[in-house]
Amino acid sequence: MIPIHALALALALVPAGRREDEPQRRWTIYADEIHTSTGRTLANGMVFVNNGKISLVSTGREESPERELLKVRAVTAGLVDASVRIDAELQSVEQSSEISPSVRVADSLDPFSIEWDRQVRSGVTTVLANPLDLDVVGGLGVVLKTAGPESIEARTVRADAVLRGAMGSQPSYGNHPAFGRPTDFFSRRPTTRMGVEWEWRKAFYDAAASRKDSERAYPGSDLVLRALDGDLTIAIQAWTTQDIRTAVFLKEEVERELGGHPRVLLDAAAEAWKEPDLLVRSKVGVVLPPFPSNGRTGEGSFMAWNVARMLHDRGVPIALSSHGSANPEDRLPLQAGYAMRGGLDFESALEAVTISPARMLGVEDRVGTVEVGKDADLVLWNGPPFEPGSRIVGVLVDGVLKVDPREQAE
Amino acid sequence: MMSRMLRIRPLLSCATVLLAAAPDAFAGGRIAIKAGRIITQAGPDILNGVIVIEDGRIQSVGPDEKAPWDAELLDHPDLVAFPGYVEANNSRGMDRPNENVDVAPFLDVRDSIDPISSYFEDSLRSGVLTINVQHGPPAPGSGGCVIGAQGMVVKPFGLTIEQMVVKPAAGIKISAAPKAGKSRATQAQAVRKAFTDLRLYLEKLVQDKKDGKDTARREALYQGRDLDKEENKKGRAMEGNATWKVKGLEAIPRGEIDDKQEPLLRLVEGQIPAFIYCDAAAAVPLALEIARDNGFLAGTTLVLDGDSWKAADLIAEAGVPVVLGSTLVHVERDPVTGKEKETFVPGVFKKKNVRFALQSLNPQAQSLWYQAAVCVGHGIERKDALDAVTRTPADILHLGDRVGSLEPGKDGNVLLLSGDPLSVSTTVQYVVLGGNLVYDRSQDVRVKHLLEGVEQPNTAPRGVEVQANPHDDEKETGADEEKKKNDAGEKKPEKEGGGQDREDP
Repeated sequence: MIPIHALALALALVPAGRREDEPQRRWTIYADEIHTSTGRTLANGMVFVNNGKISLVSTGREESPERELLKVRAVTAGLVDASVRIDAELQSVEQSSEISPSVRVADSLDPFSIEWDRQVRSGVTTVLANPLDLDVVGGLGVVLKTAGPESIEARTVRADAVLRGAMGSQPSYGNHPAFGRPTDFFSRRPTTRMGVEWEWRKAFYDAAASRKDSERAYPGSDLVLRALDGDLTIAIQAWTTQDIRTAVFLKEEVERELGGHPRVLLDAAAEAWKEPDLLVRSKVGVVLPPFPSNGRTGEGSFMAWNVARMLHDRGVPIALSSHGSANPEDRLPLQAGYAMRGGLDFESALEAVTISPARMLGVEDRVGTVEVGKDADLVLWNGPPFEPGSRIVGVLVDGVLKVDPREQAE
Repeated sequence: MMSRMLRIRPLLSCATVLLAAAPDAFAGGRIAIKAGRIITQAGPDILNGVIVIEDGRIQSVGPDEKAPWDAELLDHPDLVAFPGYVEANNSRGMDRPNENVDVAPFLDVRDSIDPISSYFEDSLRSGVLTINVQHGPPAPGSGGCVIGAQGMVVKPFGLTIEQMVVKPAAGIKISAAPKAGKSRATQAQAVRKAFTDLRLYLEKLVQDKKDGKDTARREALYQGRDLDKEENKKGRAMEGNATWKVKGLEAIPRGEIDDKQEPLLRLVEGQIPAFIYCDAAAAVPLALEIARDNGFLAGTTLVLDGDSWKAADLIAEAGVPVVLGSTLVHVERDPVTGKEKETFVPGVFKKKNVRFALQSLNPQAQSLWYQAAVCVGHGIERKDALDAVTRTPADILHLGDRVGSLEPGKDGNVLLLSGDPLSVSTTVQYVVLGGNLVYDRSQDVRVKHLLEGVEQPNTAPRGVEVQANPHDDEKETGADEEKKKNDAGEKKPEKEGGGQDREDP
């Protein structure tokens, strides 16, 4: 419900050269505090947005008739969730092979899904969309904006951003051996944790061998080769210590035996707090799943509340995530609050939902901070960010106001 | 008996982080709590104040003066004192509370409450010190009810109901939402019928008395009721504002009224509050109709869920307070456009001047502070948000003179918080309950485990810890020690094993 006078004002302010049906993409935002995610906080600052990019970040006040004015308490960069699922269901799992590196999740995404709007309302402007972890290697994840033109291509920030797979019991969960005629989706291998790891190892060794022996190549082995060379980040779901070890040992094995130097992200690494030295030694990044109230979370793992602070203190790169959960309590801004409850300082919690995941996904040149030249993805707050006593009152994606703080006034 | 006590004691020390000093140590004595800031919820905050509690009640709250020389001193200039949170309606902390009988007001949650339920432990560590335990719904999986058991207000500390009780017979739960297996229409009929049955029963009682039959008296004696007790001996004309009246009830000694009907008569006479659950706006008219027709609207609180906020006008007109479900932002999807619309529920009631209390059903948020903080984020005044988790629920429970604020004369319940009650990083450091220090976060092994993953040797109850106790008989102790040895992993030869393994010749 935009008040009439605001509409009139908006029309009056349409700059020459912009069609009326084009969204407004020029703004001046005044904020009591601008949290830039670069370690700097500007008090009484302002942000200029021009044509979808941030054109000025500074202290002070300066009005311009060309830009509409928004006034809020606090501004942060748009949040980045390094592990979400949009419309991921059994139909979006490739069944022909456990190792399907060349399957693109982007092809299964629906730009009209209501999920996008939910992400935007919770301040998330950039996501890594992942496949379900029912295959060992499920395919290629895509980094994209949560709003914008209604096509996946136009929203994509980085296509083929990660090669996504899983350790643990999930890829084999429910599988049973395909004796005789397969009866359903689950009539397949692997049926054990060992089997899952074997599939991973085979994928790497076959890909490496295919350099000399083209017979060993398989669909998508070129992508696995790229991953081995460190061109393509591998995101591996590993909840428990057991699976974290498996993933890290496998990484070190392919470094040693195949001369690879893969870049690995551990997703949903709830038990990463147990052996931080392993993660430091092996230089892997960690994406944390939502904080559970009683500590118990996926695959029987235990997630201590101080895991974010602890990993941060040890120098392990961390990102918080909703892990694709549909539960409103698992949304990303709340996770930053829970991390703070577990002892993480505000600045690091902010980084863990903005620039840190952006770096992990290789999109830090476009999103993750409030800096001149970056995409104008901004979250506007009515109080200190991540406190339950504050709320997201405005969201801009590429300079387009998706949630309007002027409609939220109470 | 002794063995039961022995078994329970270690459980308690884990479960509720009982301090070395038993609760009785302070009872009857004085305790003075100094805090950097006291949020009294009854006027402006006091900086560097002191709260003196004597015999379990607050004696004084004021700026830091000399604490009484004979008082136990809790000196925490870095902490914030706050009254305990009050939970106006809750259906957890009970063991197997689901009742198949539709109309069961003769039951009492006293018999279902499980004092060592982890719910009470969680409540204590998050500072919820006064809890109205009511029969479900809206407890998840409760199956619902038509008219539920009588609830009671408890504190989350103690091993027996007697130690926990704050107020017995605190209310009767009625559900305007369909119980599992019922349609909305059958539910409505079942609720109405319960009161029709009461009226018909009472009328028959009066008629029987006129006819000279003494079946009711004989039944009462058969059920073992003491009809010579003063309150049982006398008859009394029917009171209350119900649209129906049973004439001649004064001729019936109250003790002769069947236990199964008597709680409903107390409800109709306005002697026990009603908590009526509404799952949706569609249930609200039924809830108000039942309360109006049977004369207990003044003692009614609505427990709301779903889109019940859409009936806010009806609720405001009826003038009843409400307890809001854990989802404060109601999301609905437009069936035509497919767009989602969010409504901030407390805001709706605030606008209509309906008093609301918050509820902490939400497992992730755990507690009432979070619900209050969400209210502040959505533009509710901080004072009103804090009231919704302290004073308002206290008033709803008719305990406004005992809990909900830090004022002289009220119960000695004080939280010592690490910071502002609504901040995400604030935690409950100490809990003083009825003048006794009952919780110390630094001693809370489960919190340590949750926070740092550090496994304490006694994180989980391990059965019997043997302490030197002259009253233990030999046999018990022997058995305990054997169990302990087994727990420690010491292998004992198996007596029932096969011939080869047998050691005895």
